[in-house]
Amino acid sequence: MKNRVRELREARGWSQGELAEHLDVSRQTVNAIENGKYDPSLPLAFKLARLFKQRIESMFEPDEGR
Amino acid sequence: MARVSKGKYNLQVAAIMAIYVALMLFEWPLVGKTHDLAWRVVLALLPTLPVVAVIALAARRVMQGDELEQRIQLIALSVAVGVVSVASLIGAFLAIAHVWKVGGDVLIWVFPALCLIYGVMHVTLVRRVTGACDFWAC
Repeated sequence: MKNRVRELREARGWSQGELAEHLDVSRQTVNAIENGKYDPSLPLAFKLARLFKQRIESMFEPDEGR
Repeated sequence: MARVSKGKYNLQVAAIMAIYVALMLFEWPLVGKTHDLAWRVVLALLPTLPVVAVIALAARRVMQGDELEQRIQLIALSVAVGVVSVASLIGAFLAIAHVWKVGGDVLIWVFPALCLIYGVMHVTLVRRVTGACDFWAC
């Protein structure tokens, strides 16, 4: 799953640790989501979308061929 | 419930394990010298208390983890339980078939083996998911 989490986080000038605090997850989890190593659950994806005031489908896009 | 930091958790586990080591070094030798059955049972089972405390700490940490951390813990624990279960079955079948002569004291290695395999799996999975892993940060 491709996502725009890193782009949106950097636009706000937040570190991964700060975003992790907002989401109540670990910094490693934010890192894994940003690098596409982990796809967040639906509740966490909605939390991210709400935090960045985005529609969920504009933040996450399935990888072609997967 | 406030999340316990990894550093604090590691420190708590290290402190409890130090108590365990002290018990094994200074209290365990008394088991063989004690003739009263009740005292023998108490002394023999005393080292299980710190182990139970560590398991309780680990369980609390898993409960406080986020979804990725819990997923990693579950996979690491599943692999560890699977490997130890199969190894125990193989050992038991060989012992029953009188191929491998083994005493009951071999059971003392079940928990350490579980911890070792769990630890290796956990570090491997964290490294794979996050790209890097300092042992104490995992």
